[in-house]
Amino acid sequence: MNDILFGCIQCGRCTGGCPVSVRSALNIRKLIYRSLIKIKNKSKDLGIWECTTCSTCSIRCPKGVDVVDYIIDLRSDEIERGKVQPQVRDTLESVFKFGNPWGRIREKRADWLEGNGVRILQPGDKTRFLYFVGCTPCYDTRTQEIARAMVRVLKTASCDFAILGIQETCCGNEVKRMGEVGLFEMLVEENTKLFKKFDIGTFFTTSPHCFNTFKNEYIDLDFVIEHYTTLINRFIKEGRIEPRGKFEKRVVFHDPCFLGKQNDIYEEPRELLRSVPGIELFEFERSRERSLCCEGGGGRMWVETESDEERLAVTRVKDAAVLEVDVIATACPFCLLTLEDAVKTSNLEDSIKVMDIVEILDEALGLKDEEERVPEYQNTRSSDSKQSQ
Amino acid sequence: MNIAVCIKRVPETAEAAVNIDSSEKHIIPDQLVFDINEADNYALEEALLLREKTEGDITLFTVGSKESDEVIKMGLAKGATRGVRITPENLDNLDAYAVAKLLAEQVKEGNFDLILTGCISSDVGNSQVGVTLAELLGIPHATLVIKMGIEDGFATVQRELEGGLLEELKIKLPALFTIQTGINEPRYASILGIKRAAQKELRVIENITAEGMKAEVVKMYYPPVGKMAEILEGGVEEVSGKLCEILKGKGLL
Repeated sequence: MNDILFGCIQCGRCTGGCPVSVRSALNIRKLIYRSLIKIKNKSKDLGIWECTTCSTCSIRCPKGVDVVDYIIDLRSDEIERGKVQPQVRDTLESVFKFGNPWGRIREKRADWLEGNGVRILQPGDKTRFLYFVGCTPCYDTRTQEIARAMVRVLKTASCDFAILGIQETCCGNEVKRMGEVGLFEMLVEENTKLFKKFDIGTFFTTSPHCFNTFKNEYIDLDFVIEHYTTLINRFIKEGRIEPRGKFEKRVVFHDPCFLGKQNDIYEEPRELLRSVPGIELFEFERSRERSLCCEGGGGRMWVETESDEERLAVTRVKDAAVLEVDVIATACPFCLLTLEDAVKTSNLEDSIKVMDIVEILDEALGLKDEEERVPEYQNTRSSDSKQSQ
Repeated sequence: MNIAVCIKRVPETAEAAVNIDSSEKHIIPDQLVFDINEADNYALEEALLLREKTEGDITLFTVGSKESDEVIKMGLAKGATRGVRITPENLDNLDAYAVAKLLAEQVKEGNFDLILTGCISSDVGNSQVGVTLAELLGIPHATLVIKMGIEDGFATVQRELEGGLLEELKIKLPALFTIQTGINEPRYASILGIKRAAQKELRVIENITAEGMKAEVVKMYYPPVGKMAEILEGGVEEVSGKLCEILKGKGLL
């Protein structure tokens, strides 16, 4: 039995707050109880693959039991036995072979750039800012738009930034949470070795998931690690990015679990949104520490739920409809995809749009239109950035 | 039950660009990612499932370069007992017959009740090694097996035929079956499992020369570009719009 569970007093705060307990077999208190009295936990009956590792349980636990770690341990046992859902197997094999969970080859990892001029780091290079794009914005056609918006916005800040191009490899955040400890360790080792080839000032990510693991689980990185909302919010405060234009919409912000609950970043995304002229910002009834998980974390992007109950993303979208907002803003590619799916399945496509914060900023700044009108725009901006350094 | 499974390390070419080297007889492997041949993975899983029901050993055989140890170790991690890698000096010029002959030399010593191979390799796609191996060993075989059961020294296998027909055969062991993909759900080999598998027996047979080749690759080349293909250009929405128009125009939507 796992020593981390001895602190459990069976108060049930974990299960009471668990967003997936209401729609699946997952019952954290029962899992721990069975473990404490040495009943073997069989995952299929107890829904361990339903967990999104959102960490609500661990945050709510009055005794500081790290419940998520226990779920990961249980998953690890299944991974070691090899008998896991085919989607889990394929996802992990894809990370091992191609360096991403989407089954796509490495050579196409930088195709999202569509020929835009962004510096790609070569061994020995120095950069003030390294933009770690992440697997999903690199390959998924919808979230590629976030990466392109990021590039446009960063260019207006006249900052020296670069990307890793096809050298970039999965961070392993989801790999670890799916219980594949060996593969996670391998990724940490390989990524750390790769980053040491460059002189990096600040390292920032599109996804709170990548941010979380680089920040909290990689032990040997010697640069500043930030989520982009922190970085861009600072650029706005420093006047390096001046939100001009307008975004006259009713917007509600959905806190990504790996940004908020797990890394205490609640203010920056809100400040960033408030800085865009025209936005009327709303809050969900369940926001910040109580934010409802979208069910995209912990490998759930690739694990199909066995529950027929309403998906949490659908619940979230319905809550947004009650608020009569035009846009659900988020700052995570997984949240964006799950919420956008939910908008479609709820037939709300005509009234609600799901956007990443950086897409909102990009639209307010009119950068996409500008880029389409002036093909030389990219080059002009690149030379600006060189001059500014 | 003593089982042999023949596996092969092949490149993943679903999305990758495959380039031919200057000899025009081989592909350039540098940019490619390799894995166990898909059908062989199902054959291995079938052996593992059978071994869960009956006692016995699973021996993996492969003909290939040192890099093929990767797929052997993956199989050992999943639960195979030992591996044998055969690396002849003229590895680059083997045909299916030569591969089967190399395998037969080793497999015949093992006193196996059952020999499984994939039904086809995803690189050269000959579907010849399994059946040739059975002939060389002088044992019965069945190809494209989609279901398998073993009882009292006999195997009952289902084969997939053209036109949706199925054929069921009862075959006396020892026998060889070439396994079709989809017969089971292959398990996952964890990285820690693969590392631990390094402690299992992996026998290497080198310093031999394969003989008896009956086919030779004369030339590899890309099919000539057809004139009927129309490449649609533009963003995702634009391209899908154009595609819908074309399909509608041809009465397909």
